Amino acid sequence: MTDLDPGSLDPGSLDPDMAQAAIEHCYEQGWSDGLPLVPVSRPLLERFLATVDRAPDEVIGHLPQFDRSVTVELAAINAAMAGCRPEYFPVVLAAWDALVLERSTGGGGWQSTSGPAPLIVVNGPVATELGINGAGGVFGPGFRANMTIGRAIGLIVRNAYGIRPHVLEQATQGLPGRWTMCIAENEAESPWEPLSVEAGVGPGVSAVSATLLRTSEFVDNRHTSSAEQLLADFADTLSRTGAWIFRNASAGVVFCPEHAQMLAAAGFGRAEVRAWLAEHCGRMVSDLAAVGKDGLGDKGVRHADGTREAGFDPLLASAEPKNLLLAVAGARNAGISMVVRIFSDWSGRAVPVRARERAEVGA
Amino acid sequence: MPNAILDPTGRTPVPREPGGAPRAARRPDLTGARIGLLENTKHNADRMLDEIAALLVAEHGAAEVVLRRTKQAFALPAPDELVAEFVEGCDVVITGVGDCGSCSASAVADGVVFEAAGLPAAVICSDAFVTTADAMADLRGAPGYAYATTAHPVAVLSPEQVADRAKHLVADVVALLTDGSR
Repeated sequence: MTDLDPGSLDPGSLDPDMAQAAIEHCYEQGWSDGLPLVPVSRPLLERFLATVDRAPDEVIGHLPQFDRSVTVELAAINAAMAGCRPEYFPVVLAAWDALVLERSTGGGGWQSTSGPAPLIVVNGPVATELGINGAGGVFGPGFRANMTIGRAIGLIVRNAYGIRPHVLEQATQGLPGRWTMCIAENEAESPWEPLSVEAGVGPGVSAVSATLLRTSEFVDNRHTSSAEQLLADFADTLSRTGAWIFRNASAGVVFCPEHAQMLAAAGFGRAEVRAWLAEHCGRMVSDLAAVGKDGLGDKGVRHADGTREAGFDPLLASAEPKNLLLAVAGARNAGISMVVRIFSDWSGRAVPVRARERAEVGA
Repeated sequence: MPNAILDPTGRTPVPREPGGAPRAARRPDLTGARIGLLENTKHNADRMLDEIAALLVAEHGAAEVVLRRTKQAFALPAPDELVAEFVEGCDVVITGVGDCGSCSASAVADGVVFEAAGLPAAVICSDAFVTTADAMADLRGAPGYAYATTAHPVAVLSPEQVADRAKHLVADVVALLTDGSR
């Protein structure tokens, strides 16, 4: 078996025509999300598998409706196809495991008309080691690790589960950023403990938190020095009726450092922010009636009713993390944060990144 | 000899039953048939199934609805115990409404299971989801699986509109549940 280390090759000896033919072959098999794939050979797969201490045939996901399973090896092939470097693979696995903890991914979430997108948040030293961006342009392109780790998840769903658009995936419109929202938390400029610590993993341990989103929407507030006014601006965006379909809804905020630091300076920790927003987010019953969403049936889906008495419906079911994920990312150059809409709710649990000891890699 | 390009799907071809998926024996008509209804929590699904069943009793001689159950996880196949309950207690089953990305496929998967267990089934799907419903039939080794469709959308219909839909669906449901000899 030939095993060429790409880094050791003379660029003049690389064969673009063969590479292009291999990429086209991958398109023809229906494996691609639309962008070119890295054709994966056994030696490349072995380099991925060498980064983790897990059996290649370990089943890490199963969907009973299709009787399809994801193994560590299939995840590695898809991660390599997505353009990941081998050392990203432990993060891909942790992200996948974190998504499996989500209630929605074990049901029909990947098939849903809402076309939900994973939000993957990486904490700990692995973010720096792999160059996962958590600063400026965190939701945008430009960083290999951010783009390819998210894409790897999408390719696993497409290829290992066989869930493809227009067939078993029935997204009405889908959403921008699907399969690309992998971010590092900006721990250096966050005033709070890392998200992963709140989600149960020890400080200093690399870990991944993940959930499914329906969309994201910015809040630009460079206008006030009052923490309460700032939070009220978030509450207004969080409480929009359009995104609200069940009795309650779960959401999140990815705060920019400036907003997070302002809140922290006013004495708000994560728990205080969550308590404030849980109390203030929601709509008057009359607002909900005006859009046909005031009715509360026993199945939990809102409907047009028109007979309810005046009152206030809170958006969040509780002030627990599962209903409101709070993270910090982005540059500290402006007061621009992102409200995110969670598809069902968040597990509230981070998954540690388990890489094989470096000395063993390639042994 | 170059290295092979690895397949990321892990898929092995589905073995096809010779002659297609098993289908329950049909009765010539619904006279005296005990009806089971399996609704999937989608808005108007319970009402739609009730309206169809009422017409089967009033106009086609069916006995009555003897079993009404709600599928707790609409995206997933019905659990074995639930299927067994219908097979033991009913002569025919109506299920749906397939009105979302996952529940449409899953309703067809349930129909295939009911048929294999000997219970004639009529699956109702919104016509916006036929591609995913048909894909599931293929995955379950039942390509071309027949089900009844109603125009999308279903969730926003008034009770009167649901009743009207049921009137239009009942002939298809009778055709799905009987052998067509009468």
